[in-house]
Amino acid sequence: MKGYHDIVGDGGSGVLEQVAEQRTRITDGLAGVRHLVAVGSGKGGVGKSTLTLHLAGALRARGLRIAILDADFNGPSQARMAGVQGALFVPGSHKVALPRTRNGIGVFSMGSLIPESESLEFESAAQGESHTWRATREFALLGEILGSVEWGALDLLMFDLPPGAERTVQYADFLGPRTSFLLVTIPSEVARGVVARSVAALSKGPNRLLGYVENMSGYFCRDCNAIKPLFVSPEPFDAAQGRPSGLEIPCLGTVPFDPELARLCDTGIPLAELPDTPVGRALEHVAQQLLDTLESTTPASAHATRERRPGREPRQ
Amino acid sequence: MKFLCVPCDSPMKLQTVGPPERGSLSVVYSCPECGYEMAMLTNPFETQLVQSLGVRIGPDASSTEGTRAAGTNCPFAAMMPAVEGAPPDQAGEPIPVRWTSGAEARLANIPAFVRPMARTGIEKFARERGTLEVDEKILDAARDFFGM
Repeated sequence: MKGYHDIVGDGGSGVLEQVAEQRTRITDGLAGVRHLVAVGSGKGGVGKSTLTLHLAGALRARGLRIAILDADFNGPSQARMAGVQGALFVPGSHKVALPRTRNGIGVFSMGSLIPESESLEFESAAQGESHTWRATREFALLGEILGSVEWGALDLLMFDLPPGAERTVQYADFLGPRTSFLLVTIPSEVARGVVARSVAALSKGPNRLLGYVENMSGYFCRDCNAIKPLFVSPEPFDAAQGRPSGLEIPCLGTVPFDPELARLCDTGIPLAELPDTPVGRALEHVAQQLLDTLESTTPASAHATRERRPGREPRQ
Repeated sequence: MKFLCVPCDSPMKLQTVGPPERGSLSVVYSCPECGYEMAMLTNPFETQLVQSLGVRIGPDASSTEGTRAAGTNCPFAAMMPAVEGAPPDQAGEPIPVRWTSGAEARLANIPAFVRPMARTGIEKFARERGTLEVDEKILDAARDFFGM
């Protein structure tokens, strides 16, 4: 009797072909993007979305073509922060045109489609059992977005990831080895511990770990015009002095908290409109570090012997 | 999933896909050698698994209309009627906007979950420019105005 692999095709269901077509559509759609960078953490509330947007802004100010895909479908925040809550999705010649911010950053966020008073819902034949299929459906949606948006020629496409160490790895699996990861932590042992788990998990795969950013590294007091501690840590991390963070990846910089930055995020105003401040300078520094790291020779040799997943390799 | 006619040792071919009924799909296969037919009846979990992959079963889109309606391509299906049926002008009286076939074709190319919002927004864009027809020039103008 024939076995599964003795039979060519699937008898007409076409399911496998459709999945393969989706992957091809995604690969082709991203062919013009030089760098894919996922901004993750594992820990929630560390400022991934804020850093993503403002790093994108700093890189855009250098003349780079940048887009953000807000991959946090259940808690999208980029639409509000980037000022594209009312974005219009216009049909291009074959795909949908990517909405842009007023400073020219392309942003796709579910926050442009779903009011904040509503949550993302999927029609389902198995409601009440969403734990069995929800993640699959969300990744199918991510694939549909990647394959149906005109990404065009970009220097950088940034993915703003949802929290969860296991989710971070799932995104690495889905996005493939072309995607590099930038992790975000804060000066708290709890946060560093969770981010360390993400580092450990990602290190098992082929994706490049660019480094991490320590966000909320103190706060900028406008009264004193000084950076003051925000978290009490037994061994405060100071990248400039090389104190260890426990994370075995490069630190691309530290960014203090600034209430004014939070206000800009809430109102969708780009960082460029924030006067010269420590947080602005810190973000500029991190953006340059990120750019330098991306443009430097990929330490692909570290992964050369690892199994390659299907997909395009990063351009060198 | 593949089906084998054991007596003939021959792969069975998909014949029809019935629309979901209470979460169950009916997929009929037949043996090209002996003509024996069998139906695969999915439980809601199996139906949802296929839907979650964002694919349909079988080559004929019309045969899977029920699957689409159940949300295969549109996570916001429940929200669509409200968006599509919204009055298009501020006074609450609909001002019909005509779409050329070329513009409709372009609209059909974008994801289903974006389409209702795109249609409403572009019609508003067209009205603001003093026209009640959406053609490809209007789409290009909107793209230049809003897109990358």
